Amino acid sequence: MDTHTEPAEATRTAIVFPGMQPTAFSEVSRFMLVNPYARELYARADDTLGYRLADRYQETEGDYSLYGQISFVVNCLALAHFAGERLEVDPSHVTGPSFGARAAAVYSGVLDFADAVTMTARLAETVDDYFAREHPALVTQSMARVPQEGVAELRRELEERGEWSDIACVVDHDFTMLTVHESVLDWLQRRIRSLGGMAMYTMKPPMHSYLFDGLRDRVDEEIFAGLTWSDPRLPVIADQDGRTVTTGAGVREMLLDGFVRTVRWPDVVASLKAAGVARLCVSGADGLFTRVACTTRNFRVMPVTPRSAMRPARRRMPVAA
Amino acid sequence: MPELANHTWDEAFEAVIRPFLPYLDPGEKLTDDSPLKELGLDSMGTIELLAALESAYSVRFLDDALKLENFASPDILWNTLITKTESA
Repeated sequence: MDTHTEPAEATRTAIVFPGMQPTAFSEVSRFMLVNPYARELYARADDTLGYRLADRYQETEGDYSLYGQISFVVNCLALAHFAGERLEVDPSHVTGPSFGARAAAVYSGVLDFADAVTMTARLAETVDDYFAREHPALVTQSMARVPQEGVAELRRELEERGEWSDIACVVDHDFTMLTVHESVLDWLQRRIRSLGGMAMYTMKPPMHSYLFDGLRDRVDEEIFAGLTWSDPRLPVIADQDGRTVTTGAGVREMLLDGFVRTVRWPDVVASLKAAGVARLCVSGADGLFTRVACTTRNFRVMPVTPRSAMRPARRRMPVAA
Repeated sequence: MPELANHTWDEAFEAVIRPFLPYLDPGEKLTDDSPLKELGLDSMGTIELLAALESAYSVRFLDDALKLENFASPDILWNTLITKTESA
């Protein structure tokens, strides 16, 4: 979906919390240990968790470990504080596709930071347990350079083979994530390439499908029910359809919908554009949503990453009299 | 199709690749087995580099040429480009 509608005045900035990507401890350790905003948040996270999060992150292997997930949220929030105070970013809207919705909920004031740390830890355990029990053989395959018609063709062919599939995420008009049974992965990847596409990451556990309503209900009852959901201080754009969410209850629903509804990033792009947003401040390392053409064609993208935050700041030199 | 040049790429090839390697210093040499991922070629960069190569050489990557492992090093990528692509 291309979104080129020009609003009357596009001067606003939105802050975007990216979806999670595997990040080695060595890539972010300096930021975590030196940046004052990160240090403050890690101290608070340590108090909440009762252990040193950075140590656990460093010691634990795996792309999506519990400690890696919490650290990703903490780093993104620290970068947002850095962007606000050092780079004078003053956003009118906030959004967070997929995993990024959690940091968006904290940044907008819906969730308390300590609650979000606890929630992220419990979610990681609950999600692992749910998929191990209920859907141990489902995976989500991302594919680039395959237009929507090609995805529809792939799904028709899967159906003809008696195989289930569901779209987890539409990143751009030619970038999609499809959830399938892992037994068809080899076939699917070959077929993607035969269409001129690239089979990118395969994610396990999978994400964002109507099939996971049991997980949605479990998270609602076991985790979300015990949290306080305040109204956001700025509008939150939902990643499922680009709707504007302005209540704490609405953000809770948005996070729950994240388990069972397809992420549709082009709808978020369209909503932000319609709201007069011209610039995206991306708070965290992102190799996906804010890099695709539908984003870069519509906004100035300002990445704020652990690496960029550690570069020495330029100082204005005094002008000679 | 570009001429086969025995594992030695042409100047255009390196000029196309370099902008996708943010961690490669401008004066630093790109070698046959330079690890492109470590030099900053991430997933989105790979997709963009693929399109840039197709445009520069008027070719189309198809089927096995589109495997991610073909983007591991300049040598592997060059050989993929000259042996596994079709004229656009």
